[in-house]
This record gives sequence, C-alpha cells and structure tokens, in this order.
Amino acid sequence: MSKKKNTGKPEGNNKREASQAKAATAILEKPETDTTDENKTEAAPAAAENATEKKHRRVSNTIALANTLLVGGMIAFGSVYMTCLRHETIAEDENRYLTKFPTFSMSSYLKGDYTEGIADYFDDTVHNRAKIKQFISDKLLPLKGEPYGGDDEVELYGIAFEHTPQEIPELEPVPPITDPPAQLITEGDTEASSGNESTSGKVTTTMEDTSGQTTSEEDTSEEQTEKHTEKQTEKETEKHTEKETEKQTEKQTEKETEKPTEKPTEKPTQTTTQKPSEQTTQQQTTIPVKTGDDPKAADGEVTNNILIVNKRGITLYGGGWGGEKTYASYVNEYHKALPNVNIWSMPLPTSCSFYLPDKYKNLVQSEKADFDTMAACYNGVNAVDAYTALSQHVDEPIYSRTDHHWAPLGAYYAAQEFAKDAGVPFDDLSTYEKCVLPGYVGTLYGFTKSSKLLNNPEDFIYYKTKNNVTVTQYNTYFGNPYKTSLYLNPAGWDKSSYYLVFGMDDNIRHIKTECRNGRTLIIFKDSYGNALVPFLTGSFENIYLCDIRYFNLNAASFAKQVGATDILFSMCSYSAVGGNKTHIHNNLYK
Amino acid sequence: MIFSRLFFIYLFLPACLLTYAAARGTKHKNTVLIIFSLIFYAWGEPAFVLLMLLSAFVNYACGLLIEKYRGGKGDSAATAFAVVFDILMLGVFKYSGFVVENINALFSCSIPVPDIRLPIGISFYTFQTLSYIIDCHWEKVDTQKSFKNYLLYLALFPQLVAGPIVRYSTIEKEIENRSVSVSDVAYGFNRIALGLGKKVLLANQLSIIVDNTLGGIENATVVGAWYGAIAYAMQIYFDFSGYSDIAIGLGRLFGFHFDENFRHPFVCKDITEFWQRWHISLSTFFRDYLLYVPIFGKRRKYGGLFLVWLCTGIWHGASWNFVLWGLYYGLFVFIEMLIGKKRMKKIPLVIRHIYSKAVIIVGFGIFYFEKLSNLGIFFRKIVGYGSTQLIGLQDRISLTNNMYLLITAVICTFPLIEGFKKLSEKNFAAKSAVNSAAALCSAALLLLSSIMLVDATTNPFLYFRF
Repeated sequence: MSKKKNTGKPEGNNKREASQAKAATAILEKPETDTTDENKTEAAPAAAENATEKKHRRVSNTIALANTLLVGGMIAFGSVYMTCLRHETIAEDENRYLTKFPTFSMSSYLKGDYTEGIADYFDDTVHNRAKIKQFISDKLLPLKGEPYGGDDEVELYGIAFEHTPQEIPELEPVPPITDPPAQLITEGDTEASSGNESTSGKVTTTMEDTSGQTTSEEDTSEEQTEKHTEKQTEKETEKHTEKETEKQTEKQTEKETEKPTEKPTEKPTQTTTQKPSEQTTQQQTTIPVKTGDDPKAADGEVTNNILIVNKRGITLYGGGWGGEKTYASYVNEYHKALPNVNIWSMPLPTSCSFYLPDKYKNLVQSEKADFDTMAACYNGVNAVDAYTALSQHVDEPIYSRTDHHWAPLGAYYAAQEFAKDAGVPFDDLSTYEKCVLPGYVGTLYGFTKSSKLLNNPEDFIYYKTKNNVTVTQYNTYFGNPYKTSLYLNPAGWDKSSYYLVFGMDDNIRHIKTECRNGRTLIIFKDSYGNALVPFLTGSFENIYLCDIRYFNLNAASFAKQVGATDILFSMCSYSAVGGNKTHIHNNLYK
Repeated sequence: MIFSRLFFIYLFLPACLLTYAAARGTKHKNTVLIIFSLIFYAWGEPAFVLLMLLSAFVNYACGLLIEKYRGGKGDSAATAFAVVFDILMLGVFKYSGFVVENINALFSCSIPVPDIRLPIGISFYTFQTLSYIIDCHWEKVDTQKSFKNYLLYLALFPQLVAGPIVRYSTIEKEIENRSVSVSDVAYGFNRIALGLGKKVLLANQLSIIVDNTLGGIENATVVGAWYGAIAYAMQIYFDFSGYSDIAIGLGRLFGFHFDENFRHPFVCKDITEFWQRWHISLSTFFRDYLLYVPIFGKRRKYGGLFLVWLCTGIWHGASWNFVLWGLYYGLFVFIEMLIGKKRMKKIPLVIRHIYSKAVIIVGFGIFYFEKLSNLGIFFRKIVGYGSTQLIGLQDRISLTNNMYLLITAVICTFPLIEGFKKLSEKNFAAKSAVNSAAALCSAALLLLSSIMLVDATTNPFLYFRF
C-alpha cells in the first residue's frame, strides 16, 4: 500500500466529511443559545457589539440557565426520590416481592449479577410504585389509541391466531390405536362410572356426558392456614435483567409460559436418543417430539396473547397444530408403563372457549376440536370431558375475568366430572365454606397493564372443604417434607390471587384425607390443576399433586412408590398442546 | 449499564456529574471520566472490561510505534499488527460461532461451536480504535502520547457501548482542552431528554406492535406484515437515534462535541441518501477506510461497494440475514449509481419517495428475521402470496389501539426540531420562545419517560448486540 495512494482519497474524504459534518452541525448541533465559546468564534468584533446584542446574550443565557436548573433540578429531585424515600418491598398487583438488594459474592460480581442487582433493586423498588403504575395504566397507555369495537372496548395484546374457517388446516390422519377411541363410545356404563373403587381395574373407556352422581362426605372442618412464606413468593419474583427484558411480560407469568420455550428444544431430543429402545413400540408417540420445532405449535404456548373485551381479559388460544396428538401419545405412554393404573386425561379449556364474543371468534382456534382429537388418540387412557361440563355453567363465574386461570368454581365442575368418571364419591358444593376475597386483579393485568382490568377488580371466590386433611409438602425430588395446609393464607396481602390461595407449583404435595376407599390419585398438572385438589379431598384417600414442569423423579417409579391407583393429567390447553407437554414424556425417563 | 433506566439517569449520572464538577482542571476531570467510564462498562461486564483495556493498550502502543517508525517498515508493521489484532478480536468474539456453524453445515463436520458471549460494545470501540490507528498511519491525526488520554477517548462512557463511532480527530483537541458553558449543559440535558423520550415513549411502545405482528409472522396478513415492518423501521430508528441523542447530550455535558449520527433518514428520496442520513458514523467509517482499499484492481469502484455493503451487513450481526440486509442495500445503491444522479432527479419526487420507503421497510423486515425460514414467510406475506388475507380483525384492532402512537411516531420522523430552529432564526423573540419551549418540552419528556420507566421492562437498546 503506497502511502500517497492512500492518503489521497481519505484526505478528500476528510474534506467531504468535514463539510458534511459542518452542514450537519449547522443544522443540528447548533446550541439553542449563544455560548461564550461560540461568541468567541462567531461573534463580530467586540467593538461592534451593541447594547442590544449584550441584552440578547444575557436573555439567552438566562433561558439556558433556567433550562439547566429545570432539567437538572428534576434529575436532582429524582435522585433524592430514588434514594431517600422508602423503597417498596411488595408489588400487590403483581403478587410478588420486589427485588432485594443483592448480597455480595465474588462469583456474582464477576458475572455482573451483583452490580446489575443493585441497579435492579433501585429500579424495581421506586417509592409509590403501585400508584405510578396505576397512573401509567389510567392516563398514559390509553393515549396510544382508542379501544376497538365501540361498546366492546376491545384491546388486543400479543398475537391473535386469526383464521378464516376455510383456512383451518386439515388434521393429519389419527395414529393407529389399539383400543376403541374413547369418544366413539358414547353409551354403556363402565367400571369407572359405576362407582367402581377397585384399584387395579384397567379402564379402557370413558363416559361422555352422563348425569353426574355425586356423594358427599361431611367431615369436620379444620381450618388450616399458613402464612404465605417468603420463599414461596420469591419464586414469582423475577429479576429485571437486561437480557431477559424483552420477555418481561412472559416472565412475570407463571412458569407455564416460560418453560416451554426452553425445554422442548432440549429435552425431547435428549430423551428420545437416550431411550430409543423404550419407544420402539410407540413410534407414533415419539414422532411428535418434532413439534417442539414447529413454530406453529410453539405459538400455542404464548399466553400473553390477550384480548380485552367488555372488561374481561381473554387469552387467545392458538391451536395445537399437531401438539394435541403428541400430548395424547405422551399420556398413552403412562398406560404402557403402568398398565394397572387408571390413567385419566382431563385437558382444560381456557376462557376463550366460553367468553369470547362471536365476532372475535376467528381470532382463536378451537380448543374443543383439539380436545376431541386428543380423545380419539388415547390408547388405554380415559378422557374426561371437562369442556362439556364447564360449558353448562358459563353463566356462573367459572373463569376469572382478570386472571389467566379458571376460577375455583370452574375447578369444582371439572372435578365433579372427573369424580363421576372415576367412580368416586364427590362432595357437593354446599358442603364447602365459601370465601370471598374482594379487589382481585389477576395476572392478565400484569401482562397487559390495561386500566380496563385494573379499575374493574373482581371477587376471588374459593371454597374451603370441611374435610380433615393432612397436607405434606415436598421438594421436587420428593424430599424435605414439611406440614402445610390446603390453602395458603392470603391475609397478609391487600390483593389476593390464585397463587396466594393455591400456592406455587414447584413442589410435590401429598394430601392425606379421611376418605377410605383405597384410591390413591396422582395429579400431573400445571397451575390449573391446583384448584382441583380441595374438591377431591372427599374422593380419594391420598392425593399427590405434582406439577409436570417441576418433577424430578421417574413418574412411573413414583407412582409405584406411592401405590397410585389413578393418575390424572389435568392442565390447561396451552400446557397440553404447547411445550409443557414434553415434560409429560420426559418425566417417564428421569 | 444502559441509559434508559432510572438507575442510570438518577443515580449514576448525578454522581458522575457532581464528581466531574468538583474536579478541578481538565486532567482531574479526565480522571473522573475514565473512572466512571470503567465503572459504567464494568457494571454489566466486569470481566470484559479487561478486554477493552487490552484493546486500548495494544492500539495505544501501536500508535506510539507508528509515530516512532514514521514512514518506515515499523510504521506499516505496527499498523498491520494493530489492524489484524482488532479484526481478530472482533472476529473471535463476534463471529467465531457463526463461522464454525457454517463450516459445520458446509462440510458436514462437527467442530464444537465456541460458546463465546459477545462483549458489549465491542463492535463500536473496535471500530473507534481502528479508525485511530489508520488515521495515525495516514498522518491525519497526531499520535496520542498519553495512555490515559487514549483510554479516555476509547472508553468515554457516552459512546462506549453503542456509538456513535467517534473518530479520534473529532475529540482530539477536546481531550486536553475543553470548556462547558451553561448553554452546553442546557443543550446536553435537552438532548438526553429527547433521546430518552424517543427510546421510552416511542421505541419501546412500537416494539410491542412489532412483537405482535412480525413476532407471529405465520399468522400475519398482508397489511399486518407491512404494518409490522413499518413499526419495526420506526422502532429501530427511535431506539438507535435516541441512544445517539443521549450519547451526544452526555458528551456535551462534559464539553465534547460528537458528530451527528442520524439526520432524519426517512425523509430521504433514495437509498443512497438514506445511508447518508442513517448511522452516519458507520457509513462514513466504511467509506473512509474500506471503499478505497485497492484490493479489487480496476473494478475497485464496484468491488469496494460490494465490500462496504457486505461489511455493513455483517457488522450488524453474525447471521445470514444481516449479510443479506447489507447486500440488499448495496444492490439498490449500485442500481442508483448506474442510473446516475441526474437521471434519478428526473424521476418524479413522489415515486422516489414511495420507492425508497418501500425498499427501507422491506429492508427492515430482512433485518428483523434472523431465522431465514421466517424471512421467507415474511416475503410471501408482504406480496400476498398463498392464502394470505389482505387485512384481518387483529390488524384493525391493533391499528385502532395504537393509532395515536403511530401518528406521533410518523410525525417525529420528520425534522421538526430543525423546523423550529429555522423559525427561531427569524428574530430574537422567536429564538427565546423556541428555547423556552425546548426547555419545557425536555422537562416534560424527562418526566413522562421516567414515569414510564418505573414500570418498564428494562429494554436494552437494540444496538447493544452489535
């Protein structure tokens, strides 16, 4: 490279650049007021300065000073506000403890966690945080636009899964199954529905929509309450780190939304390669593991796709896109692994199936259609039709208006349907003590920050059983047991929530009841399943509540260890067809 | 650390400003700035701060060698060493994973993909230090004798992690001799408030629309795909130019005058002009240091152009879509070059605007989709290929829900402030009125942005990842 050659161009460029920069400076960088520096270079000779110019300069400088004092004063005020005023510790509306000041360790420092933790602490605990957030929801966010649809006051958050009827993709052929599809058998009593309480009967069919037969056991009530421990709530607390920020809304949700994005890509491939021999007889069941890579299937997991209509938040179901068949195949694996245990599958619809006005129906896919596909694919698994049971009670508050969960009343009707199919006694709602917690604003507000939800709280209504139960909570390895209660005590919180009553998911709970029918039930669930438990305390002798996402044991071994007679898979449609379903498969191979 | 968080605005910045103001003399002030810059960088990257220091030291030392052996072999050797070192550093930390992945894919081998995290701002400070070395070699700047001063140039926190790519020549004199007037402070504060407003009030809100449209491209309609891409183009603009505003504003608080990095790119009439207005510090870097590298012989005009756009693309990220993105713009600049300036001007203005906006919007679509399969879906959607609907209910709801935000964003892409400045030049009363209004607007923007930040997800500026 000859120097001359090189320097020629750049110098030319430099000139060009300089003139460009000058032009840019002329347009943009010219300070808003005259400066002393500029006056030195630009101003006319001092002799030419007249009184007017001096005055102008004085006025300009005064404005600049006022400007500096105004903005600088605001920054100074902000500093005092952030450091001297009380730091908030709890976010009632998000049901979480706010970030705590980090404790120093060399490893956390080297990772940058300590320093970022300090910044997170100050950002997260701003004094009067709740009021400021309310102001944002009430006054600022509505400035973005208008609600859609006149009186419906529709707001859309996230992605809708819009389709026109003819665009619904055709379902693939149903994998071959050996037993008759459960759905085809619409009549005929079975062992399960005729009050059979045997522990070993292999139930191959299920009933659809037969009249409910419930029995109730009256037990003395023992109110068991426990302070909501910090440890439990901390699970909800999410750090606002830079890298995670774009997913913030998802992060604040329950792990339902979070986990699927991580696990499906890793676990399925691992397990299928590790245990090929165990799947040779179930080729159809292993194929759908691929759906973790299918973007359409992944869409179904995202629960922050929310439509707010008539002051109700509705999650928009994006469809299984084959995930529903995979789910069925995974559940079928449990029948293979545990042929003497009754396997029940009760996927749960979300509120979009019942509360989405007709004119917005094409923003979602049909949960019912996916549940029907599942039912057709079960092999030795009993389908429990919670959908139909719930659809008969849509006039009652079976779903929360501000939360992505169902309401305990919805869980009651689903539990009733299950008890009927399983042939176990069932306590009538009248035997429960009704508890009302007013001012409930659920998770959907956290996702959307919509004032439509914030300013229209609802009552959280739950039902306390009078059955005597002993509840032991274990960690996800079924260790470290300690006594707890069926319901947590939300008294320490101004605003209540689903989690504050039913607890968190990252544990295993054993509920020992006074029912003496020899039936031991394992519920593999997501957070929807938590609300079922109180309604089954009169129906099973033992209930083990296990979250599919936080289960660190081999599911089959665990079932044998606790002497399970029944296993119920009960989770919302998102978990069943989305990424969470891979845990069902993986839990058999741990 | 990022600028758009309360901790920075209300704790880090005041602490820095107070210490800076308390320090007497430029030397002490420089020491304060270096310390705060290192704290700023180490806040999120305690380990990689050493890498940055290493880079600074190597380049500083090479600068001295260039000076010592001026015109001789040692000069070229030191230049070559520094350039290779810088490019290698960037290559290892930014592109090694990408390169290995592609080698694996191409030759069906399975070389382990190195899991190297991208040190924040490496693309920016490496380019700064490269420009210094080359300018030293070309004798365009005097070699910096003091390591402390060189470190100040490289590590200055306003521009350290996301630009603009400040040339050494720009602040060479100001490193050792600068002053700050009250007008500078006012200007700096106002510019920071403006940048913060762009980022927090516009870019962050637009990003929600983008996530909901381009994020679910399989479900998008024709209008939805265009809507998403338009929102994304504006998001990136407000995000990045907002960062540059804050950087320029912060620089001014300390007496530095950085060059503009954006000049309202969306008012351009063609793609060549777009790149004269978009990320100016990067395009001028490539123009000055790459375009005339004589490796293409007689065809260097076109070869250089190809190289510049390839590098522009790949600089933005180790992914094929960025390569495609760069070459895509290169293609249009090339076409415009073939047509010629005079003939371009003969094309009706409306058509030129429609053409340039369409190219830019589709370009940002390419920029968004790192996964090429999704990019394919995006292309099909924008032309309505297949059974794509023209417009859907979700688009109508979203457009209604965000109508004022979108209108405001579009208006803000025009050079409004320049308009007011022109107005202020008419007479002194107008100037005073405009300046007073600017102060009030800045205060309002700062207040609103701060309120929004209380509940904001700490959205890092997008250009952090480059």
